[in-house]
Amino acid sequence: MGVPYIPVRGLAGTDVFARRDDMTLDRNPFNEDEVNVMAVAQNPDVAILHARKADKDGNALLRRHGEDVMIAQASNRVIITAEEIVDRITPDDIGGDYISAINVTAVVHAPCGAHPTGVDGYYDMDRDHIEEYVSASTDDDSFRAYLDRYVIGKTEAEYQAMVSARELVAEPAS
Amino acid sequence: MSDASPTPTAGADTAPACSTEELLIVLMSRDIRDWETCACGALSMIPAASMLLAEATHAEHIEVIILGSEQLSGNLGKDIHFLSQRGKLDLFYHSAVQFDAEGNFNLHVIGDPDAPDRRLPGGYGSGLISYTAKRIFFFRTEHSTRTFVPKVDFISGASVTPPEIKRAPEPFRLYTPMAIMTFDREAGRYAVESIHEGFTADDVRANTGFDLDIPDPAPVTPPPSAEELHTLRSEVRDRMIETGTYPEWAETALQPA
Repeated sequence: MGVPYIPVRGLAGTDVFARRDDMTLDRNPFNEDEVNVMAVAQNPDVAILHARKADKDGNALLRRHGEDVMIAQASNRVIITAEEIVDRITPDDIGGDYISAINVTAVVHAPCGAHPTGVDGYYDMDRDHIEEYVSASTDDDSFRAYLDRYVIGKTEAEYQAMVSARELVAEPAS
Repeated sequence: MSDASPTPTAGADTAPACSTEELLIVLMSRDIRDWETCACGALSMIPAASMLLAEATHAEHIEVIILGSEQLSGNLGKDIHFLSQRGKLDLFYHSAVQFDAEGNFNLHVIGDPDAPDRRLPGGYGSGLISYTAKRIFFFRTEHSTRTFVPKVDFISGASVTPPEIKRAPEPFRLYTPMAIMTFDREAGRYAVESIHEGFTADDVRANTGFDLDIPDPAPVTPPPSAEELHTLRSEVRDRMIETGTYPEWAETALQPA
């Protein structure tokens, strides 16, 4: 959207509001009787979003959940990782949220790239791994151990071998 | 301190037995007004059942929005949120782990927010929808001093806000296994509207960690009737199972104990 901030109804008086410095209270310029929370725009330097399919120009079908398209439109650079690279994605393609190449900086072919979450039509979420992640994230030490084991200094191929990601794919994607 | 479950008084007028969940479902369903647009969030079996019970009884024209049901699968949190911000959501349900004397509620952490004893999922829209929906039904399946505390550990949503913050005028309603209470934003206090059969004003005071207004004598909540429980356990239960609205829960929770 490119707006500098956005007014929001609610949150005044909460500790969510009190503990953040990216929101403030201000008067509605069109209605002096009303005060709202103004939240400053969030503009990530880089967004990395996983798609079902993408083409080489950067048109893609994103997983259909969340706010991926809005995140892409707010970010300065957008990297699409995709289960499949195909010849051409158009807005008429079904099976995901279309995002145009206008918003996309780079495309990476990354099969099983959503692990441990899933991609409809490709593989389910890995519940065991998500449970492992959740229990590891209960304190800093166990989370550090999780990162050391799976993330820091590891390549994607090493990670996928460790979690047997490929075994989750029942059959070749269509 | 103990969890309270309704214990019908003995006598000729004894109400049919029901679970705490069924009690809350019936009591909240009665207060739904026909033609309201009503919604609940994720993992909201009790609110979902109460909306469907109202629709099956006195409020056949309500709009029922149940996240995660088969009719409304997918991520519709944003749709409900925007509906509420536009002022088009008449009724929303909230539970919380703590409620306090000032009408605040907590869905975020137990203990010091910077070093919490327990982290909870928080509330995506609780600090927003509780400001913009026209009416809020709070509910809790226990009435105890660990739930109703003098001051919440974290304010996820506030009841009392400066006058320039636009709020819906109607008081919050709070349903527990012991009583129905309302929070008057002007007075800044909870008041008991009625106490359920089997409990006294002293029970409510002893299990509430803050001072509240209780009329003397306190009105007795009309208990769930045989007819209400029958509709809940047949028509509503079947509909939840058929439509994929928390079917496993409906199958086990909505039946005679």
